[in-house]
Amino acid sequence: MLEARTLRKSFGRTTALDGASVEIGEGEVVAVTGPSGSGKSTLLHCLAGIIRPEAGEVLFAGRRLDTLDEDARTRLRRENFGVVFQFGELVPELTAEENVVLPLLFGGRGRRESLEAARSWLERLDVADCAGQRPAELSGGQLQRVAVARALAAEPRVIFADEPTGALDSLAGERVMGELVGAARESRATLVVVTHDNRVAAYADREIALRDGRVVAGATAATGGTADGTPGEAAAGASAAGGVSR
Amino acid sequence: MITVVRMLARGRSRRERARGRLMAAGAALATVLLCAAAHLTAFRLDARRGALGILTEKEPRLMVALTLALLAVPAAAFIYQVSRLATATRERRLAALRLAGATPREVRLTGAAESGWSALAGGTLGAAVYLLAALVARWSLGDVVPVRPLLWTPVVLAAVVLGGALSGLRAGRHVVASPLGVVRRARPRGPRVRDLALVALGVGLLAAALAGKGRFLLGGKYGAAVAIAAGAVLLLFGLVLATAWLIRMAARRAGRGAAAPETLLAARMVEADPRAWARALSVVGLTVFFGSAVGAHQALTVFQSDLTAFQAASYALLYLALLTAMVTSAGALVAHQAEALLDHRRSFAVLAASGVPVPALGRVLTRQALVAALPVCVVSAVAGTGVVVLLLAELYARRPGALAVSVAGAAAMAGIGVLAAVLVARAARPILRRWVRPGELRAG
Amino acid sequence: MSTGHVLLGLLSERPKHGYELKKEHDQRLPGAKPLAYGQVYATLQRLERGGLTEVAGTAQEGGPERTVHAITEAGRAELDRWLAEIEAPAPYVASPLFARVVVATLAGGTAEEYLLRQRAAHLTRMRELTARKASGSPAQVLAADYALQHLDADLRWIETALERHTVLKGETDA
Ligand SMILES: Nc1ncnc2c1ncn2[C@@H]1O[C@H](COP(=O)(O)OP(=O)(O)OP(=O)(O)O)[C@@H](O)[C@H]1O
Ligand SMILES: [Mg+2]
Repeated sequence: MLEARTLRKSFGRTTALDGASVEIGEGEVVAVTGPSGSGKSTLLHCLAGIIRPEAGEVLFAGRRLDTLDEDARTRLRRENFGVVFQFGELVPELTAEENVVLPLLFGGRGRRESLEAARSWLERLDVADCAGQRPAELSGGQLQRVAVARALAAEPRVIFADEPTGALDSLAGERVMGELVGAARESRATLVVVTHDNRVAAYADREIALRDGRVVAGATAATGGTADGTPGEAAAGASAAGGVSR
Repeated sequence: MITVVRMLARGRSRRERARGRLMAAGAALATVLLCAAAHLTAFRLDARRGALGILTEKEPRLMVALTLALLAVPAAAFIYQVSRLATATRERRLAALRLAGATPREVRLTGAAESGWSALAGGTLGAAVYLLAALVARWSLGDVVPVRPLLWTPVVLAAVVLGGALSGLRAGRHVVASPLGVVRRARPRGPRVRDLALVALGVGLLAAALAGKGRFLLGGKYGAAVAIAAGAVLLLFGLVLATAWLIRMAARRAGRGAAAPETLLAARMVEADPRAWARALSVVGLTVFFGSAVGAHQALTVFQSDLTAFQAASYALLYLALLTAMVTSAGALVAHQAEALLDHRRSFAVLAASGVPVPALGRVLTRQALVAALPVCVVSAVAGTGVVVLLLAELYARRPGALAVSVAGAAAMAGIGVLAAVLVARAARPILRRWVRPGELRAG
Repeated sequence: MSTGHVLLGLLSERPKHGYELKKEHDQRLPGAKPLAYGQVYATLQRLERGGLTEVAGTAQEGGPERTVHAITEAGRAELDRWLAEIEAPAPYVASPLFARVVVATLAGGTAEEYLLRQRAAHLTRMRELTARKASGSPAQVLAADYALQHLDADLRWIETALERHTVLKGETDA
């Protein structure tokens, strides 16, 4: 479904991606983890066709994405991808509701229908009360939830979320992750979440671990997560039990 | 203190530097315009030479005075526009300083120093250019162009720098009050009722003076003249101030009924910052106002066969001034467009990243221009025509065709104004294309 | 001792018999080690001897006749006292995980690989718990939260350890 081969991307002298390869299947939920500055956001932006890698290939549904021109990639993003950016990134002049509606309108949906969809998503993310407020009047957590609503409302085939719970307390984060994963499973969409919260990563089927711009674990479904988790199962179980009775 | 300014200057991002350069360019242009205006008043008008001869007659002299005023008004508005450039972002930056522990005084001085430096750099360039141009004019026109007034150039330069620094001081005003208030300023302050009161007062004075048919409550004939002049001036300033209010209303209406996302976004963006648009469009509005007024006046002479050469020449001169004003307006619009782009860059980059095609974003720019310029130009045109028609109601009554001609002229002026705004917005599209590259997403 | 206090807590709702107490204990503390019936019986005896509970009669619902226990005034006072106390923050790090890492570093720098495997195992367990939370009862969710946060703490420690390990190695290499 989504594949990256030996991506390389640098900004000036810093190398953000240094030969990263990943493969993500349809309907899979993956977490991209790694220390700060390890290239998680950059990888996400490359996969979403927002930026172009200097070397390597990005494939979406078998089609090269990195060689497409800007217009084609824009169309692809609009029709297939939903993105939650690391810093929320709402349009400050629009109300929360209008921020969610806007991409739907740009996608060619009618005003009434878009408004209804936006309302129901705001409701699901528990920010219906803020529908008429502008981003400057929202808290960090509310902003993030509106941004998630915006990404989900268009029912994309792939959802990219960069630290979607960064500004949330653990219960609100749980709720947002629940909606993200739920929405993805419901529509068989693929979800790629960048996070450095292990509890968020635990929502994913698999973890893609980045380190200095390289993938150190979980590059493909076979190498990460559940598949090789089995041998460690007993140890983990024992440790968890130890934790509880402590 | 100086260290802080230097540090800020060094740490300024690409867009901050672009802002500084824009401001310097604005200061340069304003200096040139102001120098020209100051210099023109000193031209030797009694030197009977060719086409310039008309300036020695009494009636056209009035026209010349009006011309000079026309030149000076856009120049002043332009320097104001430029010095206020990108206040929103700058305020945010200064507020960050405040949060970092700077005292209110330091923040103000930092703002003043920043904009003062830009104004000095640009102003010096402008003064140099103007001196060069004046010398060339002297060389080609001889003693019509006096040399001594050029000594005033440093004064003009000082005024420009002072204006820049003062606007920097003013920019820190809100920040000083509350650092957080600006960082997360929720809704923009609404335009004040006072702005509308000025319009009402102006209209009232005009109406009272005109109703008296040349007689006024006080001072008889002269009183009426003074009342008419004061009413016109009040109306003019009121209109400029009310522009923000007008734009806000128009944008709100447009946003409410918008079906197209471009219109929705454009209307909301205009609604969020009507003052910036009002600043930029006040010059356009003035031009349209004067243009319509001149057009209405001229409409009376269209059916007149004995048009004197003097009259023809003064109309030509007026239109030349209008053209200059229009060019200045376009300059103000360009400056505003650049400012708006800088301020909205991040939003546009995010929208582009989430799949909004760049042409659609280009349409957002043009629709913003339409939403803001249309009401301003229409109101200005109506006001300009209205004032002249009311003043010369008797003449209009005698020439039935004149009204139609002046309405057509006003419509044309309004059209030109809107067109200028739209053209500037269209011209900004290549810049938009370059700036919304998703790489910009980071440069927060 | 906490088993006694948990039983006192369960009895504070209403009088219960031994089997009921065992069932409720396992149900309310789903992540904890299930209680053996013998242990319930022994604890009840100890509580009764201390005057914290008393026999409140017998009950028979189809099966064998069962003794019903009730909490006494002294028992309530003891429960209140216990609840007012705080749990002493653990003074010693007593985790096999910690011991393994220290030993692994002693044994010559194989800790990194071990840590990576341990991390994968922890994350797998966290994944299971997260999935269970989606459909669990409130008590199960609470228990899963408890386990998840402890696992998360372990994981964060593992990450720091990995990070420090590279730094330390870098220092010795240089
Ligand atoms: N536009 C840019 N300009 C310059 N450097 C950049 C840019 N984008 C990323 N980098 C650099 O590339 C590296 C990787 O950045 P990236 O944002 O992908 O990290 P990350 O893993 O998302 O970090 P975090 O967890 O802090 O968000 C960093 O060193 C960063 O400084
Ligand atoms: Mg990041």
